[in-house]
Amino acid sequence: MKILFRQCLRGSIYLLLSSFALPIHAQVSVSGLITDSSNMPIPGVNILLKNTTTGTTTNFEGRFKLEASPSDTLVVSYIGFKTQELAVREQVFFTINLTPEANTLAAVLINAGYYTVKDKERTGSISRITAKEIENQPVNNPLEAMQGRMAGVEVVQNSGVPGGGFEVKIRGQNSIMAGNEPLYIIDGVPYDSRTLGSGNSSGAIIPGGNISPLNAINPGIIESIEVLKDADATAIYGSRGANGVVLITTRKGKEGKTKFTINSSTGIASITRKMDLMNTEQYLEMRREAFANDGITEYPANAYDVNGTWDEDRYTDWQEALVGETANTSKLQASVSGGSKSTQFLISGMYQNETTVYPEDFNYDRITINSNIRHTSSSDRFQVTLNTGYTLEDNFLPGTDLSFSAIRLAPNAPELYDDEGALNWENSTWTNPLAQLEGKYRNKTKSLFSSAVISYKLMDNLELKVNSGYGYTNLQDNITSPHTVYDPAFGLDSENSTVILNGADKDYWIVEPQLHWNRTLSNGVFNILVGSTFQKQNQEKQTLAGLGFPSDRLIYNLSAATTLLVLNEDIIQYNSQSFFTRLNYAYKNKLFVNLTGRRDGSSRFSSGNKYGNFGAVGAAWLFSEDINLSWLSFGKLRGSYGVTGNDQIGDYQYLQTYTINDNFYDGNIGLNPARLNNPNFKWEKNKKMEIALELRFLNQRMAFSTAYYKNRSSNQLINYALPGTTGFTSIQANLDALVENSGWEIELNGAIIQNESFDWKASFNLSLPKNELLRFPGLENSTYTNRFVIGEPLSIAKLYNLKGVNPETGLFEFEDYNNDGTITAAEDRQYIADLTPKFFGGFSNSLSYKNWAMDVFFQFVKKDGYNQYRTSEPPGTMTNQPVSVLGRWQKPGDQAEMQRFTTGANSEAFLAHSQFSQSNAAISDASFIRLKSLALSYTLPLNKSNNTSCRISVQGQNLLTFTRFKGGDPEQMNGFLPPLRRITFGVQLHL
Amino acid sequence: MKTLKIYYRLQKIKQTIYLLICLLLISGCEDFLEIDEPFGQVPHQEVYEDEATATAAVTTMYAKLRDEVLVTGTSFGMGALMGLYTDELEFYGNPWDPSLTFYYHQIVASDVGVESIWGKSYNLVYMSNAVLEGLESSPNLSVSVKNQLRGESLFIRSLAHFYLINLFGEIPYITTTDFEMNKEVLRMPKETIYENILLDLTEAKTLLGDTYISEERIRANKWAVSALLARVYLYMERWEEAEMESSLLMDNTLLFNLETDINNEFLKESTSAILQLKSKNTGANSQEGTTFIFVTAPPPFVALTNTLVAAMEGNDLRKTHWIGEVTDGNGTWYFPYKYKQYSNTGNSMEYSIVFRLAEQYLIRAEARARQHNISGAQDDLNRIRQRAGLANTTATDTESLLEAILNERRFELFTEHGHRWFDIRRFGVADEVLTPIKPGWSPTNVLLPIPEADLLTNPNLAPQNSGY
Repeated sequence: MKILFRQCLRGSIYLLLSSFALPIHAQVSVSGLITDSSNMPIPGVNILLKNTTTGTTTNFEGRFKLEASPSDTLVVSYIGFKTQELAVREQVFFTINLTPEANTLAAVLINAGYYTVKDKERTGSISRITAKEIENQPVNNPLEAMQGRMAGVEVVQNSGVPGGGFEVKIRGQNSIMAGNEPLYIIDGVPYDSRTLGSGNSSGAIIPGGNISPLNAINPGIIESIEVLKDADATAIYGSRGANGVVLITTRKGKEGKTKFTINSSTGIASITRKMDLMNTEQYLEMRREAFANDGITEYPANAYDVNGTWDEDRYTDWQEALVGETANTSKLQASVSGGSKSTQFLISGMYQNETTVYPEDFNYDRITINSNIRHTSSSDRFQVTLNTGYTLEDNFLPGTDLSFSAIRLAPNAPELYDDEGALNWENSTWTNPLAQLEGKYRNKTKSLFSSAVISYKLMDNLELKVNSGYGYTNLQDNITSPHTVYDPAFGLDSENSTVILNGADKDYWIVEPQLHWNRTLSNGVFNILVGSTFQKQNQEKQTLAGLGFPSDRLIYNLSAATTLLVLNEDIIQYNSQSFFTRLNYAYKNKLFVNLTGRRDGSSRFSSGNKYGNFGAVGAAWLFSEDINLSWLSFGKLRGSYGVTGNDQIGDYQYLQTYTINDNFYDGNIGLNPARLNNPNFKWEKNKKMEIALELRFLNQRMAFSTAYYKNRSSNQLINYALPGTTGFTSIQANLDALVENSGWEIELNGAIIQNESFDWKASFNLSLPKNELLRFPGLENSTYTNRFVIGEPLSIAKLYNLKGVNPETGLFEFEDYNNDGTITAAEDRQYIADLTPKFFGGFSNSLSYKNWAMDVFFQFVKKDGYNQYRTSEPPGTMTNQPVSVLGRWQKPGDQAEMQRFTTGANSEAFLAHSQFSQSNAAISDASFIRLKSLALSYTLPLNKSNNTSCRISVQGQNLLTFTRFKGGDPEQMNGFLPPLRRITFGVQLHL
Repeated sequence: MKTLKIYYRLQKIKQTIYLLICLLLISGCEDFLEIDEPFGQVPHQEVYEDEATATAAVTTMYAKLRDEVLVTGTSFGMGALMGLYTDELEFYGNPWDPSLTFYYHQIVASDVGVESIWGKSYNLVYMSNAVLEGLESSPNLSVSVKNQLRGESLFIRSLAHFYLINLFGEIPYITTTDFEMNKEVLRMPKETIYENILLDLTEAKTLLGDTYISEERIRANKWAVSALLARVYLYMERWEEAEMESSLLMDNTLLFNLETDINNEFLKESTSAILQLKSKNTGANSQEGTTFIFVTAPPPFVALTNTLVAAMEGNDLRKTHWIGEVTDGNGTWYFPYKYKQYSNTGNSMEYSIVFRLAEQYLIRAEARARQHNISGAQDDLNRIRQRAGLANTTATDTESLLEAILNERRFELFTEHGHRWFDIRRFGVADEVLTPIKPGWSPTNVLLPIPEADLLTNPNLAPQNSGY
């Protein structure tokens, strides 16, 4: 299977300064460049003169140099690649393209952030996906491409609307109250993943207003995503490493003929599943029974659904009508790349348009431009790399997600439009859900990324490198609520129209000077890295509201507003300064020790606490080098232990300040003490331990790895409850609480069939996480007492325990834990439901036959989640219900699952239902297996000689979901639009 | 060979230079981590480097008194809450309104209303302590500004504790912002608390001037301190000193005169006013007006009890002028109409009054009666009665005079900051007054409970007040 940018490159002959070559026994200086099949240089390749002990290895750039005589033969070997032998003769420069062995599993170079490491020699825990996996998935956000593909990485999509956010947890929730987001690094530059969005403007359409800043990254420009998980890999990121690190590397230009790639795709998207709701007949039966149960014989005037006001024969599938449209997607991406030995470049552009599943025209537009240039001086000592990216997003959405109305509206509710095509209000008997679409949400975001790496080789084994970056993001969004969202019968005019505008921008820069040094000793190799980081970030945010306009046409003109309110104004600065180091020793290519450390300084802490030290030790033993087992081609045992920190604790929290507010008095502003001053608060500490085993069999064709980890987070930042005599009710302080995340991760990879025309690779990953609150002093007296239990995971819910429906009264009954005869929240919500996933993972298969290729990927999660009853109204009220409520109690003696229907007039039944929705019955198995992606492609070889090709593909995302869950899509249960099913058709042209 | 050596030497020099650059970068400096002040916030120390911000830190406390805590005219002020607690107000609001438990005497230790009174009062105390500490270390405020602000803060700190002791009994007197200390404080004997109050007020009196610092009577001066002192001495039953302090105010006829027309009593220009709380915005009026006045029946929140209205003599001008009524088909409801404005006016007309001269007359009348100065007490009491259009008191001995004074306080000071509740407690007649009309009443209700959350987080506050 041939993918992007893969073609043969003719190496150009290159002569180094031959004046350095000293004529001893007719020896000449021979040099060369060793690359893999995609022309990436391979460091660490062994070059040996045949039948001698003379030899060398390639450097970072894949280059080597050694003395040889014309009669010698070079033996070029590298794990995972076929060994090549080349006679020297008169040749002084070799371009050697290594072809992978039967399987390439071992030959991978892993990006570990400040350094790269061969997968074989890796001491840390790093998962990786590459362009190959990403490009097979029609996704908008790189985080979505990670779902299910990496062990230990849990990714949940918050909403199916374009621009929505994701929740990413690497090896579980470490922090009780501070952030649990990993650190994102794009081409060496930390990228703040905190949203610039505001709940005020976008909260009704995007959950929490959490607009993912990672939407600015076009997945098509990503070369690889590495996730650093254990102490060995993350400690070099110090106070930001506790929750793991996600490294995103963009594509780079490569030496060779100028290549053009055009990728065009078009497709459709729709919701994955609907909830099984009642039809009109079932619904009306429920309503009538509810009135009868409540002893109401005459339907009240406002019971429009049953009292004859509304047509009792109408039926609308509101899920279909409100979120059932098919969205169209189209994408065009073009890139040109190439370059000489000294200078390579890549320029790429992408345009994308996507509509939504809502009625009416809404759409998301995105343009991204990326470029990369790399230059190496002729002396080979100086190198500069520059990456820039610019993204424009324009997101136009309804102001409110209609998913909520879609499952609640009575199935016989009136038509959406009247005969004239206007919104139908049916004589003010209902709130037309489409009126919500009169309120529009618009978001324009501009993001600039740039990074530069300048390196200079002071000596052959000493390199000075400066990594730097600058970025800027500007987000402007607004939500309108014109008076037309209300029933015209209210007689409102544009004086009741409102608009909320949020404007935010963020700029940041980083400079990281580093020194890389290595030294080969008789028994091994030392690699030493020292560096420092200087980083500044500035964020400004302002949210304004305008109320009352002379006309709705002027709704975006704040100067026309009758009242102008400032909802929020923020300026946040964040500076950090750090020093880091790595000492790596490779003993005889079989024993590896890796020490990393970082001293971090952060402006988020007070002067005595600004600095913290973090570090880790990792080691790996390639026992297959010592113990020869015929069935084992590679075996490695590795482990690590270390300390990282979490600084996601908000800014300025240590300061004793007054907040300016509107407690005006006699011409003076209001000044309120902001908080109790605790200058001593510090980072949360996270100690990580891991031990792992990696095995490869059958000449490296099969690989198995398993890891056990145990991470403990202490020094937890808590809102600590205080008596009112202190003037406040709480203080933010580090509490001696302890959270443990432990678990097993298993990964299996294999080349099942591999021959000339047919190729089948499979990989499987499984994570078995466990989260536990080990210690929380004073939990009973704290405000957290109803949320956490010692010995249980952090993501639990304390609920009533449903005993069933009383056959006599027809009401739900709950366990009275304290036997006081009444069911009360504080005492009787003692049932503990664990909402942490029990296990999750993915199973992927890549098959190729001649010019055909197919990728199938399944994601699976075993977990419990809130079901359709969590936010439901009592069955019998004027809201539609899942059909499952039909198994209700009807008459004394009935053994039923659900209690009697009620219109709400029966206060006992009403209360019982409200307790029911907060009981264990509102939790059910939300496990699922999902055909996450399926891609089928055919490559037309247009002209083999110059590697021109055309690839036609069909790709699908979230195609099938197997689950017993009844409450809609099992991935997220927040009531917002679930992730969408996508099918796209694409053509890719390589010229 | 030679070229090679030179080459390497050059390399060495370059290398040294780069290493130096690197070291420079690595050494860095603490300055790099310095950031600007957060937007919308002022560091504590800077507040006290400038007169305007230091003043704002103090005036914010008046704003809190006006809008949020204790003497506020809102529904969670003493006027409404303790009015409901006694025989002044009937409750008509929402069943989930936190004042309901006060009305029915169903207060438990976790009552949100109680927790709010306690928490907001101590927050006010924290603010005053923060000012006192900030002024202490302020390098550049003038002595006169420091004295004024310190005096006001001491005044507010003692005012808050005065209410706390009379609501909760023995409480901690907080004089620092240090939460490490304040989270473990003990309850203090009543005498110690009052000693602290007197200490604060005595100092405040020496620090504050004779005149009001601004044009209106909206910030505490020496006279406001005297007014509170008079009340404190009265509650401490130090009659002589109570008489002396209230006399100081009554003798200062240049500033204070009982308004002859009771309609003018609550106007912002009232010469009766000793301390008022200025409204937040131009045109805004008192919180009391908004809270108590209603124009349609049934009342949205509270109404005066019929017993109170019935108890007043028919020709009492306060009955006809300070009480409003709304009648519909089902009945008649009465509301406090001392403040007449319930919405904005072009210019503010009424400010909420914290201390007024009429109370001082009644304080002196009582202090004199307790010292058996019958005629003196009669004089003071009659001044109040005459203004209300009533005949002179018929009481001629201490006991009947005290009864007359308690009654007069009921009619003069109704729905003002819980006077009625504190009076029946002081006079020891709470049982007698409330048992017949409040089924939920129990004699232990003379004190509110210490909030449960505080007892949990600070066991030193135990034991809980009896009955809770």
